[in-house]
Amino acid sequence: MRMMSLYKDRNTIVHKIDPLNKILYILASILITMLISDFKVLILTLVVSLLLLLLGKVIKNVFPIISFSLIVLVTIVIIQGLFNPNNKTPLVNIGQFIFYKEGIIYSFLLILRVLNILCAFSLLILTTKPSDLIENLVRRGLSPKLGYVLASVLQIIPQMLSTMDTILDAQRSRGLETEGKLIKRVKAFIPLIGPAVMNSLISTRERAMALEMRGFNSNIKKTFLNEHDETSFDKLIRYLLIALIIFTIVWRLVWLK
Amino acid sequence: MAKIVVEGLKYRYPLAKKLALNDISFEVDEGEFIGIIGANGAGKSTLCQALTGIVPLFFKGAYGGRVVIDGIEVTKSSLSEISLKIGMVLQNPFTQITGSKLTVYEEIAFGLENMGLEREEMKRRIDEALMLLDLYKHKDKNPFDLSGGQMQRLAIASIIAMQPKIIVLDEPTSQLDPQGSSEVFKAVSDLKKKGITIIMVEHKVEKLSEYADRIMLLHDGRLIDFDTPSKIFSRDDLKDYGVVEPVFTRYCKSIGLKNEMGLYPVTLDEAVDLVVKKREHSS
Repeated sequence: MRMMSLYKDRNTIVHKIDPLNKILYILASILITMLISDFKVLILTLVVSLLLLLLGKVIKNVFPIISFSLIVLVTIVIIQGLFNPNNKTPLVNIGQFIFYKEGIIYSFLLILRVLNILCAFSLLILTTKPSDLIENLVRRGLSPKLGYVLASVLQIIPQMLSTMDTILDAQRSRGLETEGKLIKRVKAFIPLIGPAVMNSLISTRERAMALEMRGFNSNIKKTFLNEHDETSFDKLIRYLLIALIIFTIVWRLVWLK
Repeated sequence: MAKIVVEGLKYRYPLAKKLALNDISFEVDEGEFIGIIGANGAGKSTLCQALTGIVPLFFKGAYGGRVVIDGIEVTKSSLSEISLKIGMVLQNPFTQITGSKLTVYEEIAFGLENMGLEREEMKRRIDEALMLLDLYKHKDKNPFDLSGGQMQRLAIASIIAMQPKIIVLDEPTSQLDPQGSSEVFKAVSDLKKKGITIIMVEHKVEKLSEYADRIMLLHDGRLIDFDTPSKIFSRDDLKDYGVVEPVFTRYCKSIGLKNEMGLYPVTLDEAVDLVVKKREHSS
């Protein structure tokens, strides 16, 4: 079953942490890295994130995510190294280009911020089942309709794509050429749109009817199949994270004065 | 009191000129298995949707007459209220999967969660539905990984778990292979044994004759006849309505073999009995 999710099923303590706490952790990571421009703090936050990823046995899965953003990181170094307005001290010459110390240091700060955010988000998406995350949010007041849209899109979009493949195969079997020059490919796309859109509309209408028959719009207060017992450990983490967020904001305000 | 009462039902889809349902009236008693037959465009699916309130609550259009389900008039209540009384299974098993649940077990729970049931009651009902539809061994699979027949049984199980007293099935086997069709018919006959009223649109007339108590013949939105399978398939004008009788009936019609009531047999057993009796009589 294809599914739009990066979740890795492992039996670790990180996987068992309440999804809301992971969201709070992302918030805390972003706030700390954005409000505090100290290398030691940024490195410490990154180390904590990496340790948590290691504990969740998903550290290997973070590297593809980081490498995906590598081009952005390299661009940051080049642009800041060459053009940062505070650039004064030349560090290295590559041909005609001079990279300055101030720009490079600032670019490292930015890179650490990006890595921190990436690792914090990875912790959520790699160790939390999407359905658990959405169910958790619905329990806490997110509209069940919005929750359904978020949960179903992860499975229904891959299904729609496979329908597209079937339509593509059907059109190919009737002689449609889909390989070759760009113009040819664009032309081949047009006969696919009609059946794909019609198919999706019909499926959506039928699914809406099926949902109605399952009491989707019922006014009764929704209950949940899965138990959700919040442990005292979860609560402790939550209070610590909230305290950390408040402390960071207050510290920044005081420090700015 | 009849479970379903339909009086002078008329319906026209938005922008359509012709009535999809034209002055239809009938009653269905508790625990009956009703088959609906007719050519394409006869109004079978529209009638199913009218029984479940989807017409006119979901599709707008011109509507007249009344449909009363277990004492509740469908136009005077909400779809979710009606869905507690009457469940519907559609043709396409794929579109009936919600897409928001990762296992068959959770998929069945979807409707029960919307009903606000307690967890223990939910689990009891899900287990019961899984056993009834022979899906227990698939309970941890992703719904989209099931075969067509299994997916259709899951759609039925999801409705059964909500414990409606009436289930409407709109061509549930149209996209299934013979094995899948047999699975669905077996499941539906088990439901009838449990006292659930069944309304089923089906083109597989051999199967329908075997299970249905009465059959409704529709044509151009009108109710042509509503009687036992033998009486319906013994009609001489079925071709005019785009309907073909079961193969056993066709054979007996071709040799003029009728039972003592002057009707043609509709199932294999009935046909065999009649042929044996005729041979014994002639020898």
